[in-house]
Amino acid sequence: MFVNFFRSGLSRRRFLSSAATLSGIGVLGATLPRKVFAQDQVVRVGFLAPLTGPVAAWGKPGLDGCMIWAEWINEAGGIDIGGEKHRVEFIPYDDEYDPAKARAGATKLIREDGVKFIMMLGGDPWPGVQPVAERTGMLFSTLLPSDLSPDTTTLIAPAEVHPIYNVTGVEWLAETRPDLKTAVICAQDDALGLPSVATYLAAFEAAGIEMLEAPILFDPATTDFAPVVTRMLARNPQIVCLDTCYADYVHPICEQLFQQGYEGQILSCTADFYEQIIEKTSKEFMEGFVFQFPDFDDPELNADFINFQEPNRFYEEYAQRFPGQWGAVSWEYASIMDLWKAAVEKAGSAEPDAVLAAMTEGGTAPHAFGEARWWGRDLFGIDNALVGNWPVIAIEDGKARIKAFRSIPDWYDKHGELLKKHMAAYNQLWDQRS
Amino acid sequence: MRSGLALLAWIGVGVALIALPHGLSFSQQEILVFLTINVLLVASYRMLTLTGEWSLGHVVIMGVGAYASALYSKHFGVFVPAAMLLGAMTAALIAMGLSYPLFRMKGFYFLIGSFAAGEIIRLLWKRFREPFGGVKGITGIPPVPDVNLGIWDFVFFDPISYYYFVLAVVSFCLWLMWRIERSPVGLTFHAVHWQDKLAEAAGVNARAYRTLAFVIASGFAGLAGALQAHYIGAVNPTSFDIEQMVFVLTWAIVGGTATFYGPILGCIVLTVLNEIVLRGLGFEQTRPLIYGLLLILSVLFLPKGLESLVGRVLPRRATSRTRAIIGAEEKA
Repeated sequence: MFVNFFRSGLSRRRFLSSAATLSGIGVLGATLPRKVFAQDQVVRVGFLAPLTGPVAAWGKPGLDGCMIWAEWINEAGGIDIGGEKHRVEFIPYDDEYDPAKARAGATKLIREDGVKFIMMLGGDPWPGVQPVAERTGMLFSTLLPSDLSPDTTTLIAPAEVHPIYNVTGVEWLAETRPDLKTAVICAQDDALGLPSVATYLAAFEAAGIEMLEAPILFDPATTDFAPVVTRMLARNPQIVCLDTCYADYVHPICEQLFQQGYEGQILSCTADFYEQIIEKTSKEFMEGFVFQFPDFDDPELNADFINFQEPNRFYEEYAQRFPGQWGAVSWEYASIMDLWKAAVEKAGSAEPDAVLAAMTEGGTAPHAFGEARWWGRDLFGIDNALVGNWPVIAIEDGKARIKAFRSIPDWYDKHGELLKKHMAAYNQLWDQRS
Repeated sequence: MRSGLALLAWIGVGVALIALPHGLSFSQQEILVFLTINVLLVASYRMLTLTGEWSLGHVVIMGVGAYASALYSKHFGVFVPAAMLLGAMTAALIAMGLSYPLFRMKGFYFLIGSFAAGEIIRLLWKRFREPFGGVKGITGIPPVPDVNLGIWDFVFFDPISYYYFVLAVVSFCLWLMWRIERSPVGLTFHAVHWQDKLAEAAGVNARAYRTLAFVIASGFAGLAGALQAHYIGAVNPTSFDIEQMVFVLTWAIVGGTATFYGPILGCIVLTVLNEIVLRGLGFEQTRPLIYGLLLILSVLFLPKGLESLVGRVLPRRATSRTRAIIGAEEKA
């Protein structure tokens, strides 16, 4: 077919029709209405995360949230940098959760697009980016503080201290359901699953909850979870803990738990798209499911100590634009932008070193869920993780509701040694990572 | 006269390849480095397919070279270029070991067997945190030491410098593979593929030649892995999973495997399309959809690969050998 196209050559008729079509497209493009911005100056922020592939659920919803954030900020006049208003523009790059592509993406964002800050999911892509960060001094953020080490001086984890906040769910559960005394855990055997397992083990030990058997680690390529669930239920646990499983695992595991007749407590780090799980199981089965990521239409988020701007309106806008796609990360990157914006305006500059200094000044910063402190030397070798309160969520009548806010530092002050013990057992302390 | 023109053409190609990175943006230079490494990978894959066997473990073998080179240089302090060669040799040795069970199978069974063998290796990397780093892999892999040649200061963090290094290595490897294919050994690979019974009747040990192709291809794949590992500075099991293998298969299928340049053409065209054109047009999130659509179209309308298009547009360029191979494929 293509050969025939080339062989037949370019006839006058074909040339004229093609030219007319192209001209038409050009004219149409030129006459389409364009948004006019009051500000001439632009500050660019890079979004380097998986937007396609299996890990996209922790990248794409975050970008969607950032676009809403940028629209609101720009409509309100933009960011004040040294007395001048700047429009915010996000430049996305799909790293496909691959270190090589992340390196190319970081290079593009820094050297071609001139971004002043780059947000990443972190994890596997970070080692590819780290040399670029070291040489350029660019400020990066990650959602996975396990990327932090004493060498990563320009990397911050300001939104979530995964998986340390999982202790709040266990602590709350132990207080509200003291009858629950036994648990089992399953997790994917990867960089997200293992530190989370260590955290849950520490939290269960601190709460006096007995582990009925060693955590079941399944391969990330697993698609049939019936054997995993059967093995967990064979010990008749009161709590089934799903660790930090991806949505692709949480959903089928819940289905299996439902099909195999489990009626006990389920605990998980995330429950992204939980409405779909309810559809596949039942409202009754999911009642009381405890996890860590709220829907932002929750009235509890209107409390005075919450720093996230207009959470209910943000959720409403998000749900309207992307129905059924609200997930754990939908708000997180936007909350990092709140922090970054405050630091930029405080520093009067968007340059990475000035922003980092303004952000960490005094050792505290406004986290989405309240004032928090820069922390992490014990576990990560550097105080670049922002830690404070974290919500505990339970599903009630088919809807996620915040049950309490708990302090991660308070828990750590009491049980820090337990956490370090279990992290060390799973080689998750910064000096144990290769 | 004709050989003089060919020489001039090769000189022109060489000059173009040397000048190429200077005409690209910074990120395109990064992509060019990985593209050049992938050219070696896919060309080595074709070497394996010369004997008629298609493997699903080739990317894992690439990973063997990457892990081995990383470990030799990081834990034993081996000079990085030497570690790369040792990494390639390790990949070849592992392939030699795997060949004993794998070449008891043929065709589809070999394909599945190679996938299983590759998964076993990947699971070993995940399971043994010492020395493989578990699921997070190995980070902080030493880079190629910088070199100052007077006319050019090779700082290998810089993509242009590393591209020249990779280009030299890959060009030499491609020349080697070209020579091997044109040698009696290479002709025997073709014979084992197309006429294995006849070849065996003539005294050719088909299994030994399949093993030889597998080992040679694995050595080059291992070198590709080592080149990648010392540039990124990190390796992990996910980078060598079946998803990456599908990309290699796609390059080979879309490009075609009848000619030496077919898979290379597929790799270049699809990488440029996926990483530069679609990203540049703003299809950041819809790339897999468009990429998949184009693959389906290419299989429908170019079932013999991009190489057949080149062969028809430039019929006089196709060698008699190429035409013979394509003809044999058509008959088969």
